[in-house]
Amino acid sequence: MAPLIALLLLSRRSVLALAAITAAVALMASASHAETSPLPVTEIAPGVFIHGGAHEAANPANGDAIANIGFIIGRDAVAVIDPGGSFEEGTALRATIRARTDRRIRYVILTHVHPDHIFGAAAFRDDHPDFIGHAKLPGALAQRGEYYLRRLRSVLGEEADGSEIVLPTILVSDRLELDLGDRGLTIQAQGPAHTDNDLTVFDKNTRTFWLADLLFIDRIPAIDGSIVGWLDELRRMRAIPAERAVPGHGPVSVSWPDAAEPERRYLEAVARDTRAAIKSGIGIADAWHHVANSERGRWLLFDDYHPRNVTASYKELEWE
Amino acid sequence: MGVTPAISRRVLAAIVLFLCAFGGSERSEAERAARWSDLKHAIFGDRTVEDAANRVTIDAPARAEDAAVVPVAVRIAEALAPEIRGLYLVIDDNPSPLAAHFLLGPLADAREIATRVRVDDYTYLHAVAETADGRLYAAARFIKAAGGCSAPAGKDQALALERLGKMKVNFTERSKTDEPVRVKLLISHPNNSGLQMDQATRNYIPADFMQTLEVTYNGQSVFRLESDVAISEDPTFNFSIRPTDWSSPGVIKAEILDSSKRHFTQSWPVPNPAQM
Repeated sequence: MAPLIALLLLSRRSVLALAAITAAVALMASASHAETSPLPVTEIAPGVFIHGGAHEAANPANGDAIANIGFIIGRDAVAVIDPGGSFEEGTALRATIRARTDRRIRYVILTHVHPDHIFGAAAFRDDHPDFIGHAKLPGALAQRGEYYLRRLRSVLGEEADGSEIVLPTILVSDRLELDLGDRGLTIQAQGPAHTDNDLTVFDKNTRTFWLADLLFIDRIPAIDGSIVGWLDELRRMRAIPAERAVPGHGPVSVSWPDAAEPERRYLEAVARDTRAAIKSGIGIADAWHHVANSERGRWLLFDDYHPRNVTASYKELEWE
Repeated sequence: MGVTPAISRRVLAAIVLFLCAFGGSERSEAERAARWSDLKHAIFGDRTVEDAANRVTIDAPARAEDAAVVPVAVRIAEALAPEIRGLYLVIDDNPSPLAAHFLLGPLADAREIATRVRVDDYTYLHAVAETADGRLYAAARFIKAAGGCSAPAGKDQALALERLGKMKVNFTERSKTDEPVRVKLLISHPNNSGLQMDQATRNYIPADFMQTLEVTYNGQSVFRLESDVAISEDPTFNFSIRPTDWSSPGVIKAEILDSSKRHFTQSWPVPNPAQM
């Protein structure tokens, strides 16, 4: 309680100074990561802060800080939405939060299993938050967690230190309502789409729809769940009215639902052309040459992810 | 005091790099040749394995887009195909190198057989065809792919469970009734490698894979496959059947036994050309 009272008594300038000191203390607290500085964030709506990820594959220079991550501040508490791609990024995000508020970090929402979104979770352990994940997240972590961690270590080297798999403590199989104090968040578990364990977050106060990796802008979508399911979820989610949306990759804030149009167009093209390739007997290795060529040049990292997207879609659609 | 751990971390990183540098992707050609020589001896004993010299060829991507799903087609020259009774697929640098052993029955058309495999590291893949009188012909292809064996499987795990053991066949169009029947067989099975660790329990997820697959046509053997974890999740097989009797309607049957002792069987009528 003491810091809160202090804040009330201090002038605005002093508050800023205190915030800076708090941030500095938070930084010093992470002694082994003395180089950590707070992440730059944008306040896209009152109390909604996003750090924009780099449009790159994970590498030592970006430290796996490639996804859009952030937090929402309520009257009583803070919810982190995706703690980031490494312990280091999680630590920096925490420093950013602490520079703005000393309210308790009560929730850390893990939107899905992918490493660029969740490996920062361990940085919030000492806050004892509830870690919230899709009901299928533990299964996905069981299958993939160790592999992702090994890969993170091999890509980042010592920058991956401290990154750990943190298991969710609250599972969402349908819908969960959270209250941050005069601020309600709706957590919705989605069907198989980007992965089989995607969560979305809706901030009711500002009507901000946080889609995480169900929405890719500029960077090519990665299909790791179900292409048919993703198109279904997209159709359903586009009917949800919102002031703005937060994509997992792309600008930190976009208009909704029209910002989803390029993603829909890409997924439709992949589904249509992959079905045609299967029908005409083109093998799984060659199929991507024949699929969604109209989309080349419209996406960043196209050649890095498109062939795998087609392989995944092929494996799914050949069962139709 | 902060210096020592930092240095030790760097030393550790250097050691890891050093080890990685001597992983499969960096093996010399001489080391690869020695590996194949050891494998040949382990699988075929002292039998002579001849270079197939284009009578057996392997079609596989030089660089695989997904190391857990590497398509491999083995083609056998027209003249040699009728003599072939066995086909071995060996992925030299996989933890379990012998990926598949097909025993071809009288109805099999050996000219082309294809499947999808997991590749764990940059490796040679060998296909060895065995004739009825015991000659062995080997072909090789180098594949750049890594991580396929421990790579995460199962994009939609609920679906995988629901569909476990289900099979599907696609027939390729044929214009005449006496052409071989070209079949693509899809099998829904996780074919778990046993190399993925569950972080919550610290246990490896048990291996659960297809051990044998038998395909028959009107009760006669097309092939029997003895397989392993190197076959991809949701195994697929492309093969052709040469029926001896074209007059009666054909039924293809597939039977699977997996390492959990589950037994799955399914059969399909072969449509005549007009229906395809």
